[in-house]
Amino acid sequence: MKVTRETRNKDVLVSVQGSVDIYSSPELRGELKVALEQRAPKIVIDLEKVTFVDSSGLATLIEALQRVHEYQGKLVLCGLRTTVLSVFQLTNLDNLFEIRPTVQAALEG
Amino acid sequence: MAEAWRGIRVTIPSEVRFLGPIRIMIDEACGISGLTEEDRAEVQIAVQEGCANVIRHCYKSEAGKRIDLRVSFFKEALEIRVDDYGTFVDPAQIRGRELEDVRPGGLGVHLMRKSMDEVRYAKNAWGGTTLTLVKRLGKEGGAKENA
Repeated sequence: MKVTRETRNKDVLVSVQGSVDIYSSPELRGELKVALEQRAPKIVIDLEKVTFVDSSGLATLIEALQRVHEYQGKLVLCGLRTTVLSVFQLTNLDNLFEIRPTVQAALEG
Repeated sequence: MAEAWRGIRVTIPSEVRFLGPIRIMIDEACGISGLTEEDRAEVQIAVQEGCANVIRHCYKSEAGKRIDLRVSFFKEALEIRVDDYGTFVDPAQIRGRELEDVRPGGLGVHLMRKSMDEVRYAKNAWGGTTLTLVKRLGKEGGAKENA
C-alpha cells in the first residue's frame, strides 16, 4: 500500500493505493493521525486506486470518522471501485460515510 | 469410484503479511471456478477475514504458528477450508457486533457470513478449528464446465 497526504487550502487529501488490510492499515492510520492532529476541517480520502479493503481497513476509517466528528470536522471518501464499495455496503457503512465519486466532488461538497 | 479430489493445498505461517499472497491464490482459484468479479471479491474478503481471525484471536498474533488452507473445486461450489492448530472455539462464541453498534472492529465475521453461501466451524483432528467457506457456482452463469 502507498499513502500520500497533501494539504488543499485547510483541508487534507489522503490518497491511498493498493490494499488496505490488517497488514497495511497501521500505515494509513498513521497518516490519518497527522491530519486529525492538524484538526483539518475536512479530510478527503481518495480510494480510487484501492483494490481491496478488509475489516481492519474499515476499522481504521471508522476510527478516523469518529475522531473527526469529535472536533466537528468532515471526513469524505471518494473514488471507490465497485468491489470496494460492496464491502461498505455489506456492512452498512455506505450509510455512515459520506462517499463521493471524485476527489473534486469530495473537496467541493 | 469416487471422483479424485481436485484442489489446492497451501500452508502459511501466522503472519498477516502472508494474507496478500493468499488472496491472489484465492482469486485465481475463483477464476478457475468461473466466478464473477463480484463473487471473486467476496470470496477474497471471506478468506482474508477467516485467516485474520485465526492469527489475531486463535494465535494471539504470535508468529510461527501454522494455518492450512485447502481449496476444493466441486461442480456446484468452491470450498475453502481453513485449519488452525489452536484451541477449538465454540461457534456460538464466534459472532460479530451488531451493525448498528458503530465502532471500529467486529466486522470480520459479518463480512464472512454476508459474502459466502455457507460458513461453518468445526473441531478438527488436531484440536483446533476448521472454518469452512462455501461459494456456490452457477448462480449467475458460473463456468461449471471448468469445475
